[in-house]
Amino acid sequence: MTKLLSPAKSKVLFLGNEAIARGALEAGVAVATGYPGTPSSEVIESLAHVASERNLYVEWSVNEKVALEVAAAASFAGLRSMAVMKQNGVNVASDFLLHLTASGTRGGLVLVSCEDPGALSSVNEGESRYFARMLEMPLLEPSDFQEAKDLTKWAFELSEQIGNVVMLRSVTRMSHASGNVICGKLPVKSRKAHFEYNGSVMDSSRGPMISTPVVAKHLLHQQKLKVVEALFEKSPFNRYVGAAKPELLIITSSACFLYAEEAIELLGLQKRVGILKLGTTWPLPPKLLEKHLRQTTKILIVEEVMPFLEENVKVLAAGLVNRIGAKTFFGKYDETLPSVGELNPDIVAAALCYILKVKSKTLPANYLSDSRKAAALIPAREQTFCAGCPHRASFWNIHNAIALDGHKGFVCGDIGCYSMAALSPATGYHTMPTLHSMGSGTGLASGFAKLAQFGLDKPILTVCGDSTFYHAVIPALINAQHNRADITFIVLDNAGTAMTGFQPHPGLAISAMKEVVPALDIAAICSAIGAKVAVSDPFDLETTGKILTSFLADKGSLKVLILRQACALSPEKKGKKIFEVKVNESLCLGDACGCNRLCTRIFRCPALTWDRTKNKAVVDEVICAGCGVCVSICPQKAIIKL
Amino acid sequence: MKNKPSSQTKLKKDVLEQSLCTGCGACVGLCPYQVVYRDRTVQLHNCDLTDGKCYAFCPRTPTDYRKIWEILFEIDEMTPEIGAVKGYYLSRAADPALRAKAQHGGTVTALLEVAMDEGLIDSAIVSSRNEEIEQEGRLVEAKSQLGDYAKSKFTVSPTVAAFNRVMGDTAGKVGVVATPCQALALAKMKTARINDDLKINQLNLVIGLFCGWTLSVESFHRLLQQYQISPEAVTGMDIPAGKNVLELYTNASVTSVPMVEVDACVRTACRYCIDSTAEFADLSVGAARFGGDCDEMRGWNQIIVRSEFGKQVMELAVARGALEIWEAPASALQDLKNVAAEKKRKALKNIVEKSRSVKNLLYLNSDDPVVKKYLK
Repeated sequence: MTKLLSPAKSKVLFLGNEAIARGALEAGVAVATGYPGTPSSEVIESLAHVASERNLYVEWSVNEKVALEVAAAASFAGLRSMAVMKQNGVNVASDFLLHLTASGTRGGLVLVSCEDPGALSSVNEGESRYFARMLEMPLLEPSDFQEAKDLTKWAFELSEQIGNVVMLRSVTRMSHASGNVICGKLPVKSRKAHFEYNGSVMDSSRGPMISTPVVAKHLLHQQKLKVVEALFEKSPFNRYVGAAKPELLIITSSACFLYAEEAIELLGLQKRVGILKLGTTWPLPPKLLEKHLRQTTKILIVEEVMPFLEENVKVLAAGLVNRIGAKTFFGKYDETLPSVGELNPDIVAAALCYILKVKSKTLPANYLSDSRKAAALIPAREQTFCAGCPHRASFWNIHNAIALDGHKGFVCGDIGCYSMAALSPATGYHTMPTLHSMGSGTGLASGFAKLAQFGLDKPILTVCGDSTFYHAVIPALINAQHNRADITFIVLDNAGTAMTGFQPHPGLAISAMKEVVPALDIAAICSAIGAKVAVSDPFDLETTGKILTSFLADKGSLKVLILRQACALSPEKKGKKIFEVKVNESLCLGDACGCNRLCTRIFRCPALTWDRTKNKAVVDEVICAGCGVCVSICPQKAIIKL
Repeated sequence: MKNKPSSQTKLKKDVLEQSLCTGCGACVGLCPYQVVYRDRTVQLHNCDLTDGKCYAFCPRTPTDYRKIWEILFEIDEMTPEIGAVKGYYLSRAADPALRAKAQHGGTVTALLEVAMDEGLIDSAIVSSRNEEIEQEGRLVEAKSQLGDYAKSKFTVSPTVAAFNRVMGDTAGKVGVVATPCQALALAKMKTARINDDLKINQLNLVIGLFCGWTLSVESFHRLLQQYQISPEAVTGMDIPAGKNVLELYTNASVTSVPMVEVDACVRTACRYCIDSTAEFADLSVGAARFGGDCDEMRGWNQIIVRSEFGKQVMELAVARGALEIWEAPASALQDLKNVAAEKKRKALKNIVEKSRSVKNLLYLNSDDPVVKKYLK
């Protein structure tokens, strides 16, 4: 038995995302969907693992919008369901979400958004909390692991009670940290799916699921929020810790509650500072807020990224000013806290010192100089592709083809491990100057290709991974073909959603629940669109180079090159080397060669190092994945396959 | 610490970006950083080395011509128009079958065949054309194959790159058929004596080709497209004397392209070249077309003997009955000098137009006596 199915009352160490999954199981979730994205992926992975035991349907959907649609269908049929995604996934789902909140739901439907303040594994630090306000749906934010489980379970009940979708928001430090959780009961009974639609259009439990008549349904929707507000007033997930009349009131939620607690303890300010920890952050419970705002004049709002909570508290306080008096607010607007990035206890402590004019506990005098000395001893490491990564070979090919073509072409980037080519330009051999959302590389390329009449006449290339291809690239690719955009579109097909942990995607013959499913062929899809399609192995530099240079010279059409080579870390490859690779020391001329260390200075595979005593290249056999590409690049043929 | 710009950067700034690159291949094949793609020299990745051979050997970086002359030729045999002249003849291959395969008199092939027969060279680097009319240097080790590479190609070949690649190999003593820029690059390599590099001693014979210009592959392809000729269908090309056209031969037809259209396809770099007779070769060979009576000279070459070794090779070819030579009339030499001087004047005029200063002659030195003479 997996720990996710531990018996009731047992205390289990759960990852935040596992706690969310457990909460969903306790709520009797039947259908769970999602698209992989750090830090959200483990929720679906955990549920997929117990799908057969718990009779669940779990899928990796093609993208977040479809994930929410699949989950919503289950809700319409009376089942409890959830859709899980990272912060920017909510943007992808948002069009459907707008209409979903308007039509309402039936079986409890929870949208889980795991967010990444500080962009530890994202190229944005987007905020989905604003969607809760914009689309008028309840927002819950757990601030510890027990709450992650309990709030998730309650979210289903709340959703069912009000007949609308509920959003649960986690952050990296919650989703990817672990803590003890006391488990509740797992339900024994399961529901039967039944979709009723013959009732009145205004009857959301029996009528058609539709957002019209819009104004009348909008009013109904807002009335549900009033119910939510009343429930939140009494919610045990909102609690106050501290003196009855604190000098300073902290209002916070999520992992920031832990930072605030730690900061107060660090400074010994327990008697002067109180914390109102909110688990229900939209809509705010006005009476609860009024009760606590009355007790003090200084309020610090502690939250990450955008001042969402701060704005909402200020709006409430403005409406209550006759009853609670004027307050001084500290937070992001007055720059007491940074407006970007993650918070931590030190940042919160610094804010407390500033507001309360207390001295922080100072560090030893030589701390800074000592840490600088220590830092100098750490070898400099760059962000780069792994040894044996097919992307390195792909970008080597792309760079060389662009250089040979000589017309200063460039690559529009996309989201995957290959984003590294933009994040750390030397890694992509300085070819990829744009990076935005999933699929946008192809859309941008489609646009750049139409600028020739305005004087931008360069070969336009774009890359995407195999999973990204299905997620959001297909419409952009169709756009390029329909509008005759001359682009070279390269699929870096490494046989899985590698960056987030090899989740299956529609190109693979296996589902999230390990069932055999039809694999969709990217080449066939592109051919059907009408593109010229070629497939090559990026490790075969000669063939790939020829295809790419011919594509760049071939003007006026959409060209697709699928570079197929499994990720070096993929489960089927891991630990297995295609070749044993080593440097023949008698052939490597070192600095006497005209190569100027091409292998370690330009190609830069982490498995290639330079022996400073011998003045020769060395293959680190522990790191080397045995792809053999460096064998092709050494002009002296000194790197050899054994 | 490194204030000195890298050789590669200098090459890029002084040669490539100035459209001076002749595509000779001198900077290619020495390292992984410069390659030839189609007829362009491409810098693939950045190299930060200084004092690189790429810059030193390029025929369009500053050159000490005087030093090369002193090492390779007799100073008293120097002429300002066409370099060293030890002898000047009209020539043709004795074998009519060889002449039939060749562009004009088959002299180059005949000389290479004899040099190989006699063990003066073990292999030869000639240029080979692909279907796209792009060229590459090809190492030929069998005498019987030499004739396959005869005929003028009119686009540039990175011949020196092929030489760079074979150096130190088993190619033995090498003979190279070179255009003026390639012959200059090879002369710079021979006289540079960098790092006591002995590999250059493999270079035993340079047969220069007279050259007025070469065509840019890209522009020439466009021109062919206008005439609805596919590059792979072209079997030969010639500029018949007096007609002012380029004739393109295919198996089906002969097409005459007016020279004014051809002129537009000439590599920009060729407009700044002052050498039309491959002044730094052992022997230089061209079509015998400069004389007054053109028809009579069809099927003949003119040959300038420049070095002592060149003289030996030619005399051997004559002695073996492979080459027929005629003492050329003095008027023919004068005609050749006049044409060559005209090219020097025109190139210098183009250089000054580009640099907008008579003091800045790009790769040439304004104090050089030959340069001074034609800079008017």
